[in-house]
Amino acid sequence: MAYPTALLDVIGLWTAWLMMMLSYSYPLWKENHGFRFAEFTFVSTMLAINLIVAISNVMRVAITPMTKGEWSYIIPIVLGFAMYTMLFSRYRWISRYPVAILVGIGFGLGMRGVLIPSVLTQVIATITPPKVGDPMSWLNFAYIAIGTICSVMYFLLTYEHKGVLRYPTRLGRWIIMIGLGAYFGNTILFRFSMLAGRAQFFLQVLKIIPL
Amino acid sequence: MTKQETILDKMQKIDRRILYWVLFIGLMIPFVSPLGLPVAVTPSTVDLYKELTKVKTGEVIIINLAFGVSAWSECLPATVASTKLLFKQGAKIIFLGVHYDVDLTWAKIKDQVPAFKTLTYGKNYVYLGFYTGGEATVARLATSIRTVFPTDADKKSLDEIEMMKNVNVAKDIKLVLSSDTGDWCDYYIRQWRVPYGTPVGEIGIAMLGSSYMPHYQAGILFGMTVGVRGGAELEKLIGELGEATVTMDSINISHVMAIVAIGLANLGYAATVKRGGK
Repeated sequence: MAYPTALLDVIGLWTAWLMMMLSYSYPLWKENHGFRFAEFTFVSTMLAINLIVAISNVMRVAITPMTKGEWSYIIPIVLGFAMYTMLFSRYRWISRYPVAILVGIGFGLGMRGVLIPSVLTQVIATITPPKVGDPMSWLNFAYIAIGTICSVMYFLLTYEHKGVLRYPTRLGRWIIMIGLGAYFGNTILFRFSMLAGRAQFFLQVLKIIPL
Repeated sequence: MTKQETILDKMQKIDRRILYWVLFIGLMIPFVSPLGLPVAVTPSTVDLYKELTKVKTGEVIIINLAFGVSAWSECLPATVASTKLLFKQGAKIIFLGVHYDVDLTWAKIKDQVPAFKTLTYGKNYVYLGFYTGGEATVARLATSIRTVFPTDADKKSLDEIEMMKNVNVAKDIKLVLSSDTGDWCDYYIRQWRVPYGTPVGEIGIAMLGSSYMPHYQAGILFGMTVGVRGGAELEKLIGELGEATVTMDSINISHVMAIVAIGLANLGYAATVKRGGK
């Protein structure tokens, strides 16, 4: 993308740069009015965009087809409006119906597809030895198999973790900690790449590197 | 008598702002002066690449844009690389998204994939726009795309769009590529992969690497890329180095700095504990 030349685009670019620096002024310096301004502007703008997109979506998906004779769309619209009764204590009970329907549908749909990928296939993958004979694959297989069994044993809370359970549960705790550490490491990686993106944008707007 | 502060004590008291400044400036250096550090390609990315290269001319693919502007640095490079590859294969792509800022992401993808300039809207690709409703909507998409999207993002009826004429249910779709920051890939696994057998691939942020790895290893996902690194790997595989490759140097520098900071803080802590402190 070339550096914009149209006045509005340039203003947009520099506004984004300024807002970014105001947002970063909190961790890089201290809380200040500029940071607050950027924070409030961000929240309010996002809320406004979200509202417009949501309303446009309801118009496109439900209202427009309804005006063309597909009257069944009246049901989700009424259920949607029923959610707002949550705001009035006297009629709050009405909102329980759409919530119940939502939870029911979510639970039903989730259950339909959760057993095979998240339970059955995982168990099969855990107990199936690798097809290739390289040591790394076997090490992985052993780690995953032992790790799974020991981690599950750690949550065996009806028995005290001593005697025969002492070492497997301790190993399970270590493996859970390693897993959580990896998860946290990945989280940090994500934040760093977001920051790298902003660092790149910082330089691009200043024309130090191409946009 | 006041106990003299050693360097180890000082290390524990480094102002966090100094670390942030060092990190922020350190991240910029590789953009100005690239280091060109090598990127090894992981098997999960290779599998994703291989599956995409199996796509034949005319087959229809869904790319689910489930990431916002804030995750561009993580998800966009791999999404762009996949789009380039799929267009090279002659695939027809349906783009749809779940974030309210998806229009910006769509504009960015169009900007970064040169093929859009030569391909025809409605014939080679279509943009359906924003959808909401979580797993229930994803399930509905599998049985009727037209119920969720009566029109495309420009309010044109799907029946009037050439490439959508015989496309409405999961069996009409060759594969789904979910580029996301959250649970959307799970929804496609549960509502497309399991009931209809539609292959699902994941382009995820780094955080999702450990969450989706079991699905990949169990064969539920045909492949996955993890974060900006996955994007750089895919760029390398398609032979078109881009944003992610440039960013990887910066990411590597940030990791080195993080490791150094963790090391210094722990060294200071260990020394304090040794001297009977807390």
